[in-house]
Amino acid sequence: MKTNYLFPHTWKKPGWALFILGILFGFYYLFVQSEPPFFNVRLFALVDGSFLKPYSFFTLVKTNALDEIITVLLLVGGILIAFSKEKKEDEFISKIRLESLVWATYVNYAILLIAVLFFFDLAFLWVLIFNMFTLLFFFIIRFNWLLYKSKKGLRHEEQA
Amino acid sequence: MKNRLKIERAIKNMTQARLAEAVQVSRQTINAIELGKYNPSTVLSLKIARVFGKNVNDIFFLEETD
Repeated sequence: MKTNYLFPHTWKKPGWALFILGILFGFYYLFVQSEPPFFNVRLFALVDGSFLKPYSFFTLVKTNALDEIITVLLLVGGILIAFSKEKKEDEFISKIRLESLVWATYVNYAILLIAVLFFFDLAFLWVLIFNMFTLLFFFIIRFNWLLYKSKKGLRHEEQA
Repeated sequence: MKNRLKIERAIKNMTQARLAEAVQVSRQTINAIELGKYNPSTVLSLKIARVFGKNVNDIFFLEETD
C-alpha cells in the first residue's frame, strides 16, 4: 500500500475548480465559436505545420491561446480529480478505482472504434479532440458512481 | 469466501464505523466485506481478527466455489 501514484486528497478540490473552469471556457469555445483577441499571443512551438505550409521546428507561432488554455485546464483538472486520494483511500477503494479505470478504458476505445468506422474528415477530427478528454471523463463518472453506490448501501445498512 | 463479521460485531456490540476506525479503513469497506462483495486482503483480515481477539479462521471461511 505504499506506492500508489496518487495525489493527496486536498488536491481534489483545486482539480474541480480547474476542470469546471475548463468546461465553461470549452462551452464558450464550442458554441460562441469566437476567439477573443485577448488570447492572441506568440507561443514557442516545437513543431508547426499543416497541409498548407511546410513544417518548421523550434519556432514562434502566432495563435489564439484559448484552446491551449482549455486543454490544460481540462487535463490537469481531470487528472487531479481522477487521481487524488479519497479521504480514506483503502484497499476496497483501490479495487473500485482499478475496476473503474478498466471499464473507462474499454468504453473509451469502444466509442473510438465506432467513431473510426463511422466518422470521417473534419467530423473525425472533432472525435479525436473530444477523445483527448473522454477517458478521464468516463473514469471520473464511473468511479464516483461506484463510490456513491457503496455509500448509499451504507446508509441502508445502518438503518436495518 | 464467507464471513461472520456481522455476528462478531453484534457480539461485541460494535458499529461498522467503530470497526472501520479500529482497522483504519472506510466504512464502505467493512460494509462491502459483510455483504460478501469484497474479500479483504490478508493484512486486513488479520487486523479484523485481532480486533475480535480471534483467529482469522474463526471469522472468514472458504466456500466450495473458492
